Order: sequence, then C-alpha cells, then structure tokens
Amino acid sequence: MIHVRLEPQGRELRLPKACTALKLLRELGLGVNSALVIRDGELLTPDRRLNIGDEIVVRTVASRG
Amino acid sequence: MKCRKCKALAAVALPSHNTAFCPDCYPVFVRSQVERAIHRHKMIAPDDRVLVAVSGGKDSLALTLLLHELGHDVHGLHVDLDIPGSSTDARAACEGFFAKLGLPLAVVELRREGLAIPLVKSRIKRPICSVCGKLKRHYFNKFALENGFSVLATGHNLDDEVSRLFANTVRWDASYLSDQGPVLPAADGFARKVKPMYRLTEFEIANFSFLRGIDHVIAGCPYSGRASFPVYKNLWSNLEERMHGAKVQFYENFLRDGRPVFAAWAEHREDPLSPCTVCGYPTSAEVCGVCRIRTMVAAESDTPGT
Repeated sequence: MIHVRLEPQGRELRLPKACTALKLLRELGLGVNSALVIRDGELLTPDRRLNIGDEIVVRTVASRG
Repeated sequence: MKCRKCKALAAVALPSHNTAFCPDCYPVFVRSQVERAIHRHKMIAPDDRVLVAVSGGKDSLALTLLLHELGHDVHGLHVDLDIPGSSTDARAACEGFFAKLGLPLAVVELRREGLAIPLVKSRIKRPICSVCGKLKRHYFNKFALENGFSVLATGHNLDDEVSRLFANTVRWDASYLSDQGPVLPAADGFARKVKPMYRLTEFEIANFSFLRGIDHVIAGCPYSGRASFPVYKNLWSNLEERMHGAKVQFYENFLRDGRPVFAAWAEHREDPLSPCTVCGYPTSAEVCGVCRIRTMVAAESDTPGT
C-alpha cells in the first residue's frame, strides 16, 4: 500500500499499487501545477515513481484567503 | 527529470517554462523572477523603506525572505483579523518567521479597532471577503504612511493577478482595469504599492517556500468558502493545464496592450478623491468605506436586542 495524506484537508487514502506522482495527481483530480507531491521531505516531479510502502503528502497550493 | 542548470535530479517541473530545477537551482530561478519584476517596473529603489504586508501564508513570507536577501530594508505588518481557528496560527507564523530573520514586525489588531472580522461578519450583510480586504488595505496603507515607509509590498502572485484581471474583464470594469498592475504609484493619501511576486504562480511559490523551509500556514480562512476568486483560479488552472503559459501571456499582454487603453479612458472620467470627513483618508464619497463599516458595526451594537 502507498499511504497518501492530503493537505490542508487532512484526508487520508491508500493506493494498492505502485504508480507515478502524475498518476496519483490524476487520480485525485489535480493538475500537475495544483499540488506539491512530497516524500520523506523531498519534492517529487510528476515522472517520479511511487512505491509500495511510501508515505506521500499531497499539498494543494491554492491559497484561500 | 533533470535540472536544466546542473543536470541533477529535478525537484520542481515547470511546464509553463518547459523546464525543471533541482532543490539548489530552483530558489535561484525564483529569485531571478522577483529581481526581474523589481527591475523591469522600477518597484524598489535601494534607499526605500519597504513595508511588507504579511498574512502568514507562503506568498507574503516568501516575499519577505526574498526582499531581505536582495538587501532591501524590510519591515513587516500583520493585521490580526481575530478569526477563531485561523488568526492565532497566522499571527504566530508571522511572528516566528520575522523573529527567525531578525526583522521588525508590527501587528494591528482589528479587535482593538472594534472591527474583529467575526463581529463585522455578524453585523454587515455584504460578502465578508470584500469587507475584510477593504479593512486590510486600509490599515496597511495607513500604517505605511504614518510610519514613513516609501513602499508597501504585497505577496500577490500571478494567479491572484490573473484572477483579479479576469474578474474585472468579466464585468468590463474599466475603472479597475485602468489601474491594475504590479505597481501603483504613490498618490495623495496612498502609499506606493508594489507586487514583486507577480511573475510567479502559486505553485512556483509553494515549491520555493517548501525548499527554503518557510513555516507558513497551510489551512485557508474558514470564511473564504463562498469567495469568487477560487472559482476563477480553478478555471485558469484548468486552462493552464491545456495551454502552458496562458496565465503569464494573459497578464503581461494586458499590461502591454490593454492597460494603457483603459488608463487613457480613466483620465477623462476620474472621480475626484477628497479626504474622508471622519478619518481624513482619501475617498470618492464623503465618508470612506472603512468609516462606513465602523458606523454600521457600531449602529448594530447600539440596537436593542443585538
């Protein structure tokens, strides 16, 4: 499983298999410039591969007031 | 993906620039965008005292850091809105950040002005985001003028500017279109205003803030749910996904071709400003918007049963 935490919403979800950061963003309905994808304190570009066991933070960037 | 400059593993991909950067080279790119904006629009002179309006979000704190690193004389002003579940964190982020950089930060508390946003929201029927924006602009301008700052800088980014331009265009609001831009010159009763981050998107600033370890607030304002600007931002975000560079093209081409036309139009229709009869700040009405808000809040407080 890949564990994903969405910020700032605080929602959590799990993905059953490996994919890329781009695929993850697409599954979340986000554009490539809509969110940071973070693993172990490192930013991932859309082509980076996510592996089983990864803890990923997806942080949307749009400020709301 | 590889970094365009040093070929190391990239951390940030920028489709609109058709490039990517590693964690070391990316902040250099961001800094160059801000330097270019300041230089191109003559935003800040070396001897200017700069007041940065800070909210605790990524944009204004990143702007503070960049201006400080570029050698400008930077001071901060935070307006504490007194919104439960939001303002305490925002203020703490500003205070912590300025303390870390060793820069001076002033705080205006709207509660002390009798204008805490929850109180204003409960007493005034207008959309709270526009009222809150008006109050913040008023206090930023007032503080800058009363404390001898020659420039007031805000962290408005390309997405903010494009959303605002688009909203003004949807309404064909010629008056607002005539003076929208990254620099608003000083005028009687108004401080000079600059937006050095206008060439950077929210995504670009968020990446910079992350890589530079800026501890900013992430949660949005609890009152912003019905604001119109997220609608425009989403719309432009979708457009940008399909047409890389659309945002910057829309905005820069407006500055080059559109704004001069509206500015010429406005010269003939300018409503004269005069001092507000209550506070003395310029207004096109007899009493300025902030003083009218203050009166409405006070009137509601005096009404029996409220």
